[in-house]
Parts: sequence; C-alpha cells; structure tokens
Amino acid sequence: MITRAALSSSGNSKHSGTSTMNLERVPNEEKLNLCRKYYLGGFALLPFLWLVNVIWFFREAFLKPSYSEQTQIKTYVKRSALGVLLWAVVLSVWITVFQHFRAEWGEVGDYLSFTIPLGTP
Amino acid sequence: MDLQPNKWILCLFICSFVTGICCNSMEKKIYLNLNYTVACVRLLNATHQIGCQSSLSGDVGVLHVLESEENLDWVLNTGHSPPYMVILEAELFTRSILMKLKDGSRRVAGVAVIEPNTNLPGGFSPHTTCPNENSGVYTETYDPTYAHCNRTMWNPFGNGLSYEEFPFPIFSMKEDNDTRVIRQCYQDHNRGENGSIPQYPLCAMQLSSHMSAVTDTPTCMRRNRIQNDFSISPEMVCDPLGGSNIWTSTRPINNTEKGHKPSQSVVIAAARMDSRSFFFDLAPGAQSSASGLIALLAAAQALRNISDEDQPNRTILYAFFEGETFDYIGSSKMVYDMENTRFALDLDNVHSMVEVGQVGIRPQGSPIYLHSDPVSRKNDSVNTEVQSLIENLKEASSSSNTNVSEPEASQPLPPSSLQRFLRARPFPGVVLQDHSSTFTNRYYESMFDNPENLNMTYPPELTPEEQLSFVTDTAKALADVATLVAQTLFLQAGGDSAKATSITADPQTVARLLYGFLVKSNNSWFEQMIPSDFKSRLVDRPTNFYTGVHMQKSEPSFLVEYILANLTGTVVNVTQEDCKAQRENEDDKESRHLYSYMWVQGAPVANSTDTDSLCVRSSVRLSPAISPAFDLDLLSSADYSTWTESRWKKINGRIFLVASHELEMLTLGVGVGILLLSLILTYLISSKAEILFCSGREPTSATY
Repeated sequence: MITRAALSSSGNSKHSGTSTMNLERVPNEEKLNLCRKYYLGGFALLPFLWLVNVIWFFREAFLKPSYSEQTQIKTYVKRSALGVLLWAVVLSVWITVFQHFRAEWGEVGDYLSFTIPLGTP
Repeated sequence: MDLQPNKWILCLFICSFVTGICCNSMEKKIYLNLNYTVACVRLLNATHQIGCQSSLSGDVGVLHVLESEENLDWVLNTGHSPPYMVILEAELFTRSILMKLKDGSRRVAGVAVIEPNTNLPGGFSPHTTCPNENSGVYTETYDPTYAHCNRTMWNPFGNGLSYEEFPFPIFSMKEDNDTRVIRQCYQDHNRGENGSIPQYPLCAMQLSSHMSAVTDTPTCMRRNRIQNDFSISPEMVCDPLGGSNIWTSTRPINNTEKGHKPSQSVVIAAARMDSRSFFFDLAPGAQSSASGLIALLAAAQALRNISDEDQPNRTILYAFFEGETFDYIGSSKMVYDMENTRFALDLDNVHSMVEVGQVGIRPQGSPIYLHSDPVSRKNDSVNTEVQSLIENLKEASSSSNTNVSEPEASQPLPPSSLQRFLRARPFPGVVLQDHSSTFTNRYYESMFDNPENLNMTYPPELTPEEQLSFVTDTAKALADVATLVAQTLFLQAGGDSAKATSITADPQTVARLLYGFLVKSNNSWFEQMIPSDFKSRLVDRPTNFYTGVHMQKSEPSFLVEYILANLTGTVVNVTQEDCKAQRENEDDKESRHLYSYMWVQGAPVANSTDTDSLCVRSSVRLSPAISPAFDLDLLSSADYSTWTESRWKKINGRIFLVASHELEMLTLGVGVGILLLSLILTYLISSKAEILFCSGREPTSATY
C-alpha cells in the first residue's frame, strides 16, 4: 500500500487502467469512498489502515486546491491520525511495561510470552 | 586448440585456491581451542539457583594469573583492561577469593581453576558444613536441639562454594599443554616490563557455558511445559536429577506384586552410590561414596555362599541409593514407593536397617563407629532392637579383625539414607562410619576425593593388569569392614552365631572393585561382567560418581547393576535368546517375577578373541530414583528434593590475542568511512557518466 502511494506520488503510473494505483486519475467520489473504507476498516483493530489513510490522503486533504468532497476527506484523515496516535501511545506503554516487568510477573509473564529468552529471568 | 591450455590453467588455479582456503583456516591461526573443559553448571531447586552462568556467546576477558589474594586488587580495582579472566592455582581456590570476585563481577569475565596433580594439604570441601540440612530427619518438629547441625557440624572443612551463584563462568583445567600455553601467553603479553602498563595486544580467553534454565525449579519446569505444549520444536530448559536405585535380596522377592508381602521380614543393607564436586561430571567420590559401596558389594558376595540350610529366617535386602547428595533423591523415592504400594515391599516388612557410610579412611587399628538416632531410641522397643543390632555388630567385630565403638549417646545421625526412613516411622537402624563426630574426610564432595585421599597407592612398576589384582592396605582394611558388615547382616537376619564366623569378604574382590571404581573402569574383570554391547561404556579414567539427570544412567549405577548381579547371582544354563527374554526356557512365564537374567560377556576363551558368554540369574532390580516432588507436582515443596540441572548448548573455551577497544573502533570507523566514500564516488561517477566516458562511439552500421 505504501509503495503504491509512493509510486502514485511520483506521478509515474504504470497501470493506468486500475483505479487504486494513481489517485490523479480517480474521480473525487471514488477518493472519498476509498478514504471512508479505510477509515471504517481501521476500527476492526487495524491501526495500520488508519496510518495508510493518513499518508495516502494527506496531500489530497490538505495540499490540493479545495473541491467538494475535500472537507469530508479532511475529517477522515484527521480522525485516522488521531486513531493512529492513540494506538501508538497504548502500544508503547504496554510494550514498555511488559518488557520491564515480565520477569517479575513469573507465571503470568511466561503465559503471556510468545518466546521466552533462555538463561535470563 | 587454444582453449586446452587455458582450461588446464584455470583448473590448476581453482584447485590451488580451494586447497589454500581450506587448509589455511584463518580461525585456527587466531584461536587456540582448549581440549579439556570442565565447567561449573547451573542447578536449581525449589527456591534457588546455584552454579555459574556465562553470556550467550561466551565471556571474553584478558588473562590474569593470580599470584596471591592481595593481587586481586589488580583485577578488581587497578587493572587497566577489564574485564579479566582470572586463572587460579588450586591453593587460591578459596571462598574468600571467589566471594570477592563475585562482588566485583563487573570487572571479572570468568575464572579458570588449575587442578593440581596432588591433593592440597589441609582440606577443601565445596559442600556445606551441614550436608542435606533440610531434608533429613532432624527438623525443628523432630527435635530442635539437633536441627541444622546444632550438635555436630559434620563437615567442618565445608565452604559452601558449590551452593553459591556466580554470574560468570568457572572452568577447571588440568596441568597439561594448554595450561603451559596459557602461562606462556600471559608471560609474553600480559605482564608489563618493570611494572609498566601492559600494552595491547593482550592474551585473552573466552569461556562459554550459557545455561538455559533460570530462577528456580518451578519456573524452569513450567517453561518446559509451555515449550512442550505450544512450540513446534520444543526446547527444554532443565531436567530433574536422579537415576535408578539398584536393589537385590538374598531370597528372591516377587517384584510384580507390589505392596505388603505377608510374613516377609527384611533387613535393609544400604549404601549410597553418588557424589559430586564443584564442577560438572567430575566427582571421584572415593571416600564419600565408593568406600561404602564397595564394602557392601563385597559383603553381598561373602553372604552369597551360605548354603540353604544355614539361611537365616529374615531376608537381607541390599539397596544402593542414587542421588543421596541432592537431598536424598533415591531413598526418599524408595520410602515413598514403599508407603504407596509401588515397591515390592512395604515399610511394615522392614525389620531394621544397616547403612554403610564413609568407611575408607582408617589408619591402623582405628575403630568403626556405630551411629544411631537418639530421638527414636527414646522409644523402648526401638531402643532394644538397636541394642541387639549393636550387640550383633560387636559379636561380628570380634571375628573380623575390626573393632567397633559407639559415639556419644546424644549425638545425632550423620547425613545418611537412614534419616529418610526415620522420617517415615521410627525403627531401628545403625550407620557405620569411620568417624565418631566430624568427618574424617577432609575433601568431602570435592575433586580431591580420590584414591590419594584413601591412601591407596600402587607400587610404581606395575602394569594395569597387575594393579587390578594388587591388594593394597586400603583394600585389606575395607575387606575387614566388609566382613564385619556381612557377619552382622547374617546375625541380624537371624543366622546362627557359629556359622557367622566363617563368613569372610575376599580382599581380592575388594582390591579389584577399588581399582575399577577409582582408577580405571575399563579393565578385564569388569569387562567379563557386562554385556558385550555396553563395552564402550567402560572408560579409562576414574568413575564419575555424579548423579546426573534422571534419563541418563549414571556410571556407578551401570557398574553396580552388573557387578551385583555377578557377585550375588548364579550362572544358569540358558540360551542367549531365552536369557535376553527373561525366561529359562520357551514356556517359562514365572521366572521374570522373581529373577532377572543378564547375558554377560564372560571370561575370554584361550587362543581366540571370543568370550565365553553366559547367562547370570540374580534378583537385581532397578527402581526409579526420581524425587517424589516431580510425580506429585509439588515443585516448591520443602519435604522432597527438587533439584534439577539446567540444559546448555555448548561448553568450550579458547585463547586468542585481543586488540584494544580503540583499535577495534578505529578499524570499524575506517571501514564504514571507506564504504560511504565508495558509495558517494559511485553515485558521482554514474551521474556524470556521459561526460567522463565519452568514448566517441561510432554508429555500428556497417559501411562497406
């Protein structure tokens, strides 16, 4: 997804037929649809969809001259960014706590771990 | 035509290239691998971990041969190139030095101890001063005056090193080529001239002994279970210690029917078969284990020749316990089995117990001491039985060239398997030892508990075969103890006094057993007693008495099983096929319950390489020696042994020269710089390619 977005941003589209590769050729309604799909999809515990949303539609939402669907796209992008931030904070906190306290949690820590290191507590 | 010499030249070039690469290994030029590496490994119990741990890829340290305890200051404070790998001579392997190294462990990469050729003067015991303190019978509830060795400190030389935890690897090395190379390397590189700072490159050593298990036994067994249940390729981290107890009886006992056997009264004759030292798999155990074991084996042989009409009414059960060093693994399991109808007998069948402890160090005329438990003797019936047992011992001693003596009445039992039986119920028992209060063994459970500790020396010009049959003074003294034990057992089992005096142990057998267990197990006598497939298990070094993990049969249990069968069994005329199938003939279904059959190699036939293989029928059985804590899943219990041994991937060591950290960083920096430079250069050149490489290309159209 990100590589496709990078390709589209360089404006060198190889697949002029499909609508997903290059946002240049996509009509505005399609853009809004895509943005909404990614936004809604991210609620299924998929924060990377939100991240893609932000990166892919950032230019569309804030740097292009305005068009009718842009306000909606802007809200979606803002909300996706918020969602990504929230997930990042929660995951960072959990990862730090787990790495720090796993050894002290004994049995619980072992059952939560996927791989347990050898030779260290 | 032109290609032929080219092809040959190319072939030649490739061949010389390949030989140059593989025969000129860079690794061999840099590293010198140590041949003999004996490490200290990690053991875990219900609450602690003991032993040593290295980092995953090994710890590297600059060599330093320690000269004295004051020289530690260089390692811990003033040295300029930490971390150091400390080389200790055996005299410096003391508790105070190792504790100081443990405290300063940021600057210590590891320790290597050099084994001396002769034992240290004084004494050295890495075991605790009160062995098996919490797993014997003397607890606060039993009798607080005897708990924690309040009354008698059995092992005064004990410094407890084996039970400490070290964050760096500790290896042991012998005085051989490698040690000479190490000392030479140290002299050449690591000593500055005239007290100046030694300059890089310095001689360094890397020791690798990464242990997988950590914290304690419940944690590592839980991780074992998690690996087993959830992983595709499970990686175990630890294994319980244990093995097999070996037992046999003078009258065959039906082993298939477990539990109480009515009208069977049994006298247990016990000895332990294991020992340990600070290092893994290095446990000569001469006095702590082999002396008692050999005395009991010789006594069993002496009692074998009693004819049928002289047989006493009680049966004698010979039991050799495994794992007694580690909180009585073998005896606690046997008591547990007896209490839960998993053994061929019951505790109600047991009349009394005689245990043969450390009996090897007996200067001329010194007595054997008869230890008994004062607390259980407060009970009158037990006391009378113990008195009669002691009377039997005194009667036997008068005809066996030994004298016996009782230690002080209020002295508790030394660490012995009898303590576990007493935990179950009070009953009469005596432990034979060669010391009256503290151990005479100055090297209890250490690498110095070897034949020199028993004063066992052979005249220098003997060949190994001659040494095998040479009867040393130690062997004679031990044979006297064996005679004492045999006659006592006969009397205790109800035999006739007049017949008892004719029972004697054979000093020749004792001498051979001493040679086989303590010098070399690969000798002609042992070879005759084992099946031919196991010949490779006999080794050219002293037997290793370490218990090891329960899946592996320890060396002593392997040897005792076959020796006991040969010494107490009979040769029967049975074909090899039937023998291996545990039957006397095609239709025999009953013998396997009473007897066990072994097809052993036998004596070599003259003028050929064949041997006269034969079938030995005996009552020798194996009974599992794994702590009940693992069966009951009580891994944090204080009642049973919970010892486990960690697993590891590799244990090795190597020596090489190491450069200063600054030089390493400089080399890395230069390399990275060259990489970046070449990348930039390539980018510049490729972007200006048309200008730089104007080759004046003509169009390739042919102009004819």
